[in-house]
Amino acid sequence: MTNGQPMIELRRLYRFFGETKANNDVSFSVARGEVFGFIGPNGAGKTTSMRILATLDLPTYGDAFVDGFSVINDPDRVRRRLGFMPDYFGTYANVNCAEYLDFFARAYGLTGADRRDAISKTMRFTGLDSLAEKPTRGLSKGMRQRLCLGRSMIHDPAVLVLDEPAAGLDPRARIELREMIRQLAAQGKAILVSSHILTELAEMCDRVGIIEQGQLLVTGTVEEIQNQQTPRSEVHLRILGPNEPCRVWLERRAGVQNLVVEGSAMRFSHMGSEQAQVDLLRELVAAGFSVVEFGARSLSLEDVFMQVTRGAVQ
Amino acid sequence: MTTVDGQLPSQAQEPSASEASAPGLLARLDSWLERAVDHVNPILVKEARQALKSRQFVVTYSLLLAFAWGWSLLGIALLMPGVYYSSGGRFMLVGYFLVLAIPLLIVIPFSAFRSLASEREDGTFDLLSITDLSSRQIVTGKMGSAVLQMLVYYSALSPCIGFTYLLRGIDIITVFLVLGWTLLASVMMATVGLLAATIARAKHWQVLVSVVLLLGLAFFAFIWTYFILAFVAMTPPLDDISFWISVFAVICFYAVFIGLGVFGAAGQIGFTSSNRSTRMRLLMLLHHFLWIGWMTYAWVVTMQEGALWFLTFAGGIYWIVMGALMIGESGWIAPRVRRGLPVSYLGRMVLTWLNPGPGTGYVFAVLNAATLAVVVILLGIVAQYNAFRGAPFDSGLAAGAILGVAYLAAYLGVARLITLAMRALGVQGGMILPFVTTCLLLVLGALLPYFVQFWLEGFHEPPYSLLQAPNWAWTLNEVADAGSLPGSTSGLGFSLQSGFVLVCVFALVIFFVNLVFAYREVEQVRVDVPDRVLEDEQQLHPPKVIEAPRTSPWDEG
Repeated sequence: MTNGQPMIELRRLYRFFGETKANNDVSFSVARGEVFGFIGPNGAGKTTSMRILATLDLPTYGDAFVDGFSVINDPDRVRRRLGFMPDYFGTYANVNCAEYLDFFARAYGLTGADRRDAISKTMRFTGLDSLAEKPTRGLSKGMRQRLCLGRSMIHDPAVLVLDEPAAGLDPRARIELREMIRQLAAQGKAILVSSHILTELAEMCDRVGIIEQGQLLVTGTVEEIQNQQTPRSEVHLRILGPNEPCRVWLERRAGVQNLVVEGSAMRFSHMGSEQAQVDLLRELVAAGFSVVEFGARSLSLEDVFMQVTRGAVQ
Repeated sequence: MTTVDGQLPSQAQEPSASEASAPGLLARLDSWLERAVDHVNPILVKEARQALKSRQFVVTYSLLLAFAWGWSLLGIALLMPGVYYSSGGRFMLVGYFLVLAIPLLIVIPFSAFRSLASEREDGTFDLLSITDLSSRQIVTGKMGSAVLQMLVYYSALSPCIGFTYLLRGIDIITVFLVLGWTLLASVMMATVGLLAATIARAKHWQVLVSVVLLLGLAFFAFIWTYFILAFVAMTPPLDDISFWISVFAVICFYAVFIGLGVFGAAGQIGFTSSNRSTRMRLLMLLHHFLWIGWMTYAWVVTMQEGALWFLTFAGGIYWIVMGALMIGESGWIAPRVRRGLPVSYLGRMVLTWLNPGPGTGYVFAVLNAATLAVVVILLGIVAQYNAFRGAPFDSGLAAGAILGVAYLAAYLGVARLITLAMRALGVQGGMILPFVTTCLLLVLGALLPYFVQFWLEGFHEPPYSLLQAPNWAWTLNEVADAGSLPGSTSGLGFSLQSGFVLVCVFALVIFFVNLVFAYREVEQVRVDVPDRVLEDEQQLHPPKVIEAPRTSPWDEG
């Protein structure tokens, strides 16, 4: 790898399917050792971008690069450096786990002791060593995902592209998968991962990108994205005494939205900085309300996602 | 549940299995075999594992054995009591051949088709295509697996085949020819199956293709069985050298057809930006040269003008089929393909027609058909001067050859222009669109003028007229019947002469219009290899350091 060069780079990528713009000027890059989360609703263009990176499709315009090699002009060199885990699991009949990995190790050009070592280490890493003789079509969803991850990393690629790796997994398997991805990143691999489970991505990714209708709306760390959005917090408030006067008072305040009374408590969105929240609390007390609880929570990735995207489909 | 704190492939240090293996004859043999298998196509290894465990193989193999044993008992019973003194080998071989024919000519080719088609259906094809395996390796791996199954079936029946020879009545060469040809026929059908698997992606089209393929395989198996039974029934002229020469000729064409099938299938499943044409065109060129060589040989040996007509016409059909497929290629040449374009003037002039593209494909097909016509005319000139024995050459054949090329240039050219127009309007259709367009044009070109004249003449058998100029079938037939060049004293009438000139002029116009449209493909120039690729290439294949020769025995450096 050339120093300072991103391991993954999408440069003004367009992909049209007739009238549908699956990718519409998508650009981002992923550095070595970085986990980049790709978020978007169904049909947003995540899989299309990933398939182009994996040299399974060609862009209509623009180009994508893996370790400096164009996916259009040097797909062979890209494939040697990239492991791709699609959102489906391709199985073969009458093949067990060991044979499955052995086949892909051979297909990636590994021979002799190198191949055997790669298979045994991959099986150990993915926790499949006890299932070596089990037919691939008889595996559980979680085990299949592990095998699929193992297949994509059997040739020790510098870049991993994982499309919905946690889909359908139970909580334990999801946590284990997250740990595996973090370990792979610690090894210096650049990882592009898409998921619908945003809390997972927030914990595992160094940076995220939100895509909708083929356009990349925002990229950066979760904090950066939160800061880019209109400052907003979810506020939980409880006072002694009746809620009604307080509700009326709050509704007159600028920056207070979506006020909901829940029993003895109230919940609302507050548009403003942390200082504005401090001022609001002070004014509440000054207005004579007996504040028992005042808790503000900043936006989660899920909130940001909902704020950034419009839920539109093509 | 296992933990996730395992080591990565790049991290852990472990003794390899080969280091741990104990020395010994069996261990050494095992290690040698394993090293040998490392060089075998991975698809073949995987498919062999799968096939040997599959229910289809077990059922077919068991049925094959059961039928072979059944025939052994039934055949001997039918031959009784003459089996002790008369020769029944031929009779028994026919039965064993029939037992082999079904798996070899239907089951294995259809399995090859399903094998590749199911890779696409199950999504495993995507996983395969991003490995180091080339599309050609994928196809040859599937082919290798089919051949392996054929060999297993042959080995299962080898005792029975040996038994037929012991019964006498058939020579070993005939037995080998029957088995060898059937093996080659099975390989060809497997290639057809693989090619068919690459045609359609949508499920409904795949179903249609599989039905058509199955019917085609059954039909071919019937024809082949008929041919083999006829061959076994007659006494093959094994002492006749011309028999062996014709066998050799067929094998030559067969090998190139298999090559075309494999490259065609690989091209269909290959990455869009790779060069999928040049190798195919080189193979077509090889086919063409073989055709010309064997055509010349057939003419010199037989001096049969009918044979020369047939071979020239067949050559023309070959080029119109290949041309109709080539004009459906994409005109876009990826930068990676342009890295290898010729740079010299001579190289560009000669090799440009091997580059991918519909325009270059059109010119390539027309030029090759034209060389076929030139060879026919040259053969005629040499025959006129009696350079070798035989009757004088009929110049009608030369006229037919020129006219054939003109028709090919005109129909292919018009089909290409129609395809260009349709693509400009947004109709895609891949390589099928120009192929179907060409076929339609050829059919309409032959039938429409005929029916128009038939209608004008009041539904009476019409004589040849200028209206039939687009009718390639009738015009070529008239030229063949007239038997001389236009303008000569005997032979072609005015209508035919006018038609000949009209078609040639029209073909020339269409050819030049197409040449203008091919300009963009021709003007492509070589692009530089990016620095990153050069850098990687240097890492993968570092230049060898050549040590300076030692100049003195004391120099240890």
